[in-house]
Amino acid sequence: MKRNAMTVVIGTVLIVIFALLLFVFQVRQSEVAVVTTFGRPTRNLTEPGAYCKWPWPVEKVYKFDQRVQNFEDRFSQNLTADNNNLLVMVYVGWKITDAKAFFPKFAGGSTLAAQSMLESMLRSAKSAVVGKHPLADFVNADAKQLKFNAIENEIEQAVQSQLQTNNCGIGIAFLGIKKLGLPENVTQTVFQRMTSERQILISQFEFEGEAEAQKIRSAAERQAAETIANADAAATRIRGEGEAEAAKVLPVFQQNPELENFLLRIGALQQSLNQRATLIFDERTPPFDLFQHLPTNAPSR
Amino acid sequence: MSHDHEHDHTHEHPVPVTPEDAGSQALAEALHSSFAIVKVVMVLMVLAFFSSGFFTVGPQEKAVILRFGRPVGEVDKILLNSGWHWSYPYPIDEVVKIPITEIQKVNSTVGWYATTAEQELSGEELPAGASLNPAVDGYVITADRNIIHTRATLYYHIENPINFVFDFVSASNAVQNALNNALLYSAAHFNVDDVLTRDVAGFRDAVLQRVSDLTELEQIGIVIDQCEVQSIPPRQLLDVFTRVTTARENRNKVLNDARSYENQVFSQSGAQASSITNAAAADRARYVQSITAEAKRFSDLLPKYESNPSLFAQVTLVQAMGPILTNVQDKILLPERADGKPRELRLMLNREPLAPKTSSNP
Repeated sequence: MKRNAMTVVIGTVLIVIFALLLFVFQVRQSEVAVVTTFGRPTRNLTEPGAYCKWPWPVEKVYKFDQRVQNFEDRFSQNLTADNNNLLVMVYVGWKITDAKAFFPKFAGGSTLAAQSMLESMLRSAKSAVVGKHPLADFVNADAKQLKFNAIENEIEQAVQSQLQTNNCGIGIAFLGIKKLGLPENVTQTVFQRMTSERQILISQFEFEGEAEAQKIRSAAERQAAETIANADAAATRIRGEGEAEAAKVLPVFQQNPELENFLLRIGALQQSLNQRATLIFDERTPPFDLFQHLPTNAPSR
Repeated sequence: MSHDHEHDHTHEHPVPVTPEDAGSQALAEALHSSFAIVKVVMVLMVLAFFSSGFFTVGPQEKAVILRFGRPVGEVDKILLNSGWHWSYPYPIDEVVKIPITEIQKVNSTVGWYATTAEQELSGEELPAGASLNPAVDGYVITADRNIIHTRATLYYHIENPINFVFDFVSASNAVQNALNNALLYSAAHFNVDDVLTRDVAGFRDAVLQRVSDLTELEQIGIVIDQCEVQSIPPRQLLDVFTRVTTARENRNKVLNDARSYENQVFSQSGAQASSITNAAAADRARYVQSITAEAKRFSDLLPKYESNPSLFAQVTLVQAMGPILTNVQDKILLPERADGKPRELRLMLNREPLAPKTSSNP
C-alpha cells in the first residue's frame, strides 16, 4: 500500500536520525576529543570530523578546545645574575595537544587547573633563567650582546621539558616577555641617574655649540684673509706683467732721448697749467715775443 | 511529531468502513481535514528545514562551512566569498563567518603610566609620583637603562581566517602580546635619545619588524597595515628632558648663526678679492695702452724732429702754448721796461687759501 510504504520510509528516516544522534558525534575543526569507555580514556581524536561511539553508559565523549590559549603569569620579581631585582611578566600561548593525557591530569579537563599548573612551572623556569643572566642580557644597545630572544627560548624550553616529563598533554606554541620592570624604589634611583645624565647633556650642548660656532667663525675669517691676500698677490703679479709688457716698448724712446725729454716736458707743462693757473710772463716768452719790438704807447723814460 | 502522524493514520483507516451516523462522519471529516493541514505543515517544515541552509556572506567577510566539524572544500577553496551560499542545515553543516577586510586594531599600554582615555582627554591625569609603581605604571627599559613610557597602536587585517579563527581562542590577544613584546624588545636595544628624538622612525620600524616576525612565527594569519608608536620621557623628568631639547635647539641655532656668518664672510671676501684683481687688470691694461700710444706718437714725431730739431721744438711749443693759455685763468703780460731794468712784482698768495692748486710761477 502506498500509504503504508510512505509510513515505513518516514519511520525509517526517523529511526536513522535517532540512531545517528545516539551513535555519532562531531569533532569540530578547533577541537580535540577523548572517548572514555566506562570512565577510562581509550580513544584520542585530533582530526575534525564525524565519529562513531557506543551510546552513553558505555562510552562518553569529552571535547576540548585545541586552539591556542593565552596565559599571562604574574609580574614577579626575580634576581638577575648580577644581583639586580628585575620584575618579569611572560605571556604564553599554549594548547592541548594530547587530550587523552590532558583529560585525567586535570579534574574534568579544566583549563583553569591547567593554567595554575602552568603558572607554577613558569615561575620556577623564569627565576632559574633570569638568575643565569645579567641585566645586560635583557637590555643592550649592542645587538650581539642582547640575549632577549635567548632568554625567552630558555624559559620556553624549561617549561616545555617540564610539561613533557609530567606528560600533561599540553604544548607551548609561543612564549614571550610581556613586561619588564624594576622595583619601585629602584625607579627613583634610576630617575636620579637619568637627571644627572640629562644635565651632562645640557652642558655638553651648551659648550659644544659655542666652541663649534667659534671654530666655524675663526676658520671663515682665516679663509677670507687668505682669499684677500691671494687676490693682492695676484694684483701685484698682474701689474708686474703690465710693466713687463710696457718695458718692451721702452727701446722705442731710446732712439732719441732728447725728443722724449722735450715731449715729456711739454706734457708736464700741459698738465700743470691745466686749471686755475695764473701765468705771468714777459715778452721774451714765445709766442708773446711777437710783442717785443712793437711800438708801444708806454712812456719811455 | 512522528507519533502524531502514526496516530492520525490509524484513525483514518477505518473511516470508509463504518459510515454509520452523521456525528461520527463529521468527526471523520474533521480528522481528515486536520490531517491535511498537518501534511501541509509538514511539507512546509521540510521546505523550511532545507531553505534554512541559505545564507549570505557580506562584502566585509568570508565564511567557512564545517561539515561534521570539518571544513568543506580544498585547501584554497575553503573560504566562501561574499554572496549567496547554501549549506545543509545545522547538525550536518555549520557556517562560520569571519570578518576579513575590515581593519582591526590593538593597543599596547604595557609601557604607559596608569591613565585612561577620558583622563587624558580631559587633562585630569593623576599627578606623577616620585617613583613608578610596577603594579600600575607601565614603562620600558631602554638599552642605556633609562626608563621611558611608550605605547603603540597596531592596525592589521586578517589574511588567513582559518588560522585566525580556528587556531586561537583569542587571536587579537595574541597580536596584542606580540605588540607588547615588540615594544619591550625594541626598547631593549635602542638608547633613550634614539627612541625619543634622534631615531623615532627607526624605533617604530623596529617595533613593526618585531611584531610581524612574531605574528608570522606564531602563524596568526594576519597582515599588518600600520603601526603607530608614541614615546615620552617619564613625567617625573619632563622638565629636565625639555631643557635638553632647548639646549640642543640653542646649540643648533648658534651653529646656524655661525654658518650664516661664515657664508657672509666668504661672499664678502670673494667680492673684495675679485675687485682687487679686476682693478689690477684694469691698471695693467691702461698702463700698457698709454705707453703703447705714447710710443706710437714718439715714432710718428721722430722723423720730423730729426729733420730740424730746433724748428720742431719751437713749432711744438707754440702749438702747445695755445691751449695752455686758453686754459689758464689769469694771464699777466709784463712788457719790458724801456730802461731794461727788471720789474718788481707783488703777489697776494692767499687769494684762494682752500684751493689746493692755486698758482704757479713759471
